[in-house]
Amino acid sequence: MSPGAAEGGFETSSAATKKHSKKPKYSRFTQQELPACKPILTPGWVITAFIFIGIIFIPIGLASLFASENVVEIADRYDEDCVPSIYASDTLAYIQSSQTNKSCTKTLTVPKKMKNPIYVYYQLDNFYQNHRRYVKSRSDKQLRSKANEFETKDCSPEATVLVSNKEMPIVPCGLIAWSMFNDTYRFSLNDKAIQVNKKGIAWKSDREYKFGSDVYPKKFQSGVIGGAKLDENIPLSQQEDLIVWMRTAALPKFRKLYGKIEVDLEANEKITVVIQNNYNTYSFRGKKTLILSTTSWIGGKNDFLGIAYLTFGGLCLFMVISFIFLYVVRPRPLGDPSYLSWNRNPDGLLLN
Amino acid sequence: VCCRVSPLQKAQVTSLVKKGARKITLSIGDGANDVSMIQAAHVGVGISGLEGMQAVMASDFAIAQFRFLTDLLLVHGRWSYLRICKVVTYFFYKNLTFTLTQFWYTFQTGFSGQRFYDDWFQSLYNVIFTALPVIMVGLFDKDVSASLSKKYPELYKEGIRNTFFKWRVVATLAFFALYQSLIVYNFVIASSSISVDSSGKMFGIWDVSTMAFNCIVVTVNLRLLMMCDTITRWHHISVGGSILAWFVFILLYSGVYTPRGIYSVFYVLISTIYFYVILLLVPVVALFGDFLFQGVQRLFFPYDYQIVQEMHRHEPDGSSAGLLEIGNQLTPDEARSFAVAQLPGEKSKHTGFAFDSPGYESFFASQAGVLAPQKPWDVARRASMRSRAKTPRKN
Repeated sequence: MSPGAAEGGFETSSAATKKHSKKPKYSRFTQQELPACKPILTPGWVITAFIFIGIIFIPIGLASLFASENVVEIADRYDEDCVPSIYASDTLAYIQSSQTNKSCTKTLTVPKKMKNPIYVYYQLDNFYQNHRRYVKSRSDKQLRSKANEFETKDCSPEATVLVSNKEMPIVPCGLIAWSMFNDTYRFSLNDKAIQVNKKGIAWKSDREYKFGSDVYPKKFQSGVIGGAKLDENIPLSQQEDLIVWMRTAALPKFRKLYGKIEVDLEANEKITVVIQNNYNTYSFRGKKTLILSTTSWIGGKNDFLGIAYLTFGGLCLFMVISFIFLYVVRPRPLGDPSYLSWNRNPDGLLLN
Repeated sequence: VCCRVSPLQKAQVTSLVKKGARKITLSIGDGANDVSMIQAAHVGVGISGLEGMQAVMASDFAIAQFRFLTDLLLVHGRWSYLRICKVVTYFFYKNLTFTLTQFWYTFQTGFSGQRFYDDWFQSLYNVIFTALPVIMVGLFDKDVSASLSKKYPELYKEGIRNTFFKWRVVATLAFFALYQSLIVYNFVIASSSISVDSSGKMFGIWDVSTMAFNCIVVTVNLRLLMMCDTITRWHHISVGGSILAWFVFILLYSGVYTPRGIYSVFYVLISTIYFYVILLLVPVVALFGDFLFQGVQRLFFPYDYQIVQEMHRHEPDGSSAGLLEIGNQLTPDEARSFAVAQLPGEKSKHTGFAFDSPGYESFFASQAGVLAPQKPWDVARRASMRSRAKTPRKN
């Protein structure tokens, strides 16, 4: 009856029964006893986080907005102006005929000094380069290498042409290439031509890897003409207009890089631009705009990032103030048991 | 209180409560006669042990001792409810956010059905990029520790009142999913509509969508961390690992040539300052709404478990003290009955007077060195036999 005997008895019996123990092997993972941090979102943390965000975001917003404000952009919509008045009621006839004179002269005024490089863009509106059938209509394999010339699976209807009863592939095939933009712009200042550099307008990876240097255009625009014609002697990797065009845009209103002007333009200068208004946007009421723009470290003239950062940083600081105010007005001491629901309404336990 | 009931009557009483009072019923039993009751209730708990394994085989949960029922209900049952709610609501939320961004894009494609994201992004989103962290939450999340769960059994009411899966909770989450999808989509689209680089070059559809997908993966994973009450090392590993897996995947996918639009997209993206600027802005703005909501909710409309957390926030994490330990902390009575149960003779299912003879038991007890208590009828019988000649007890 002595505790010693009982303990001793238990010890020996447990030694005898240890081999029968069904206790599972202990590990912190299986017993859910991993060390953990249990974060509690106290008002202190909320206020600290908001202050921190506000302090970081406002300077970034200011820097972005400052950069964007320093970008100078000239935009000039020309698709309506460049149709001669006699064809004003029948623009389609004008644009589709090869006899009409497509030349159009416009004057642009430089609002502020523009430092080189000045980028020339063409902007299209209501042109759905992101339409499902359009995006599909290309053959990347064919663009990359001459050996894949016959890979025109997704390109129909611009996939092959019948040449003396044999199906010959169109290179580059597909609707994207077929509808390539073909307006041209020639700039001059005080009767002196301004050179537009058309090299290096496509992303380097496209030029080097996506478009092969052994692929030459073949049978291109041999049926219904949808856009630009390509020089059959220049390989695709050097046809930068095509490369830029084939990087399909995300939105129906998009701009693409046409070239670079590498001289400075002073304020109030009058630039004359001769536009060849070749591209047909009239059949679907699309718009064409010519854009000249400088860039900054954050890109073109887009206040969005700067405004977003500033607004949000300001909002965070405002939240700090209102949170502090609300906390002062209606404080809740941390860990106060009187806020437990069964302490607040004691008969709540009996109800469901 | 019912006594002398047959197994059928036990089942009938359970069904009466189940259907009549329309409550969730739990029945617990250890013998073969409890099987029908266990099967009749919503939750059946069987105790494995002396009476055999029939109850265990018919039950939903099997425990070893009756006292483990507190842990089953108050600790593990409660945690289980919390974890399931978090996992299910998180799954809806992350897919809603992801899919809504695609939905907003359809307005810009002339409703032609062009997808915003590449096929591989969509397929692997739920498989690699967002799968593991939510599993970690489902395994390890605890709102309060085990000992606190037992100290405040009223916390169990949260499950009964369905606090974490009410329509209001789900609707709030859906609202924030909508808000986040709008933020991600519009910020990325609006900021990339013109050139984003000093080189003046323009992005295409796959650049924009990869940027948006990047923001979605980061946002959704960080949102999970905001949802946790307990953050273990595995949470950090899985969240960080998922985001890292995304970067590894996209670096490989856009690095190795495939005749798809994604080739070299990511390398173009990371060469611009725009990528980092957007990566800082979009997840923070997207999560701002949730963060503010959680801060306000905890301060002005706290749940009970949150108050309990705050009350015990300075206590060390003595998590090993909460869960039951078998065999180490038995009382002396329990230890003795356990030892007696291990005696060879007692393994027999035949109990009753005939098998309780003191000589039988005390022999084995003395062999094993266990103190077997005297049976009361034995003491009484010996007292009444005092006048008879004593037969030797030892064999």
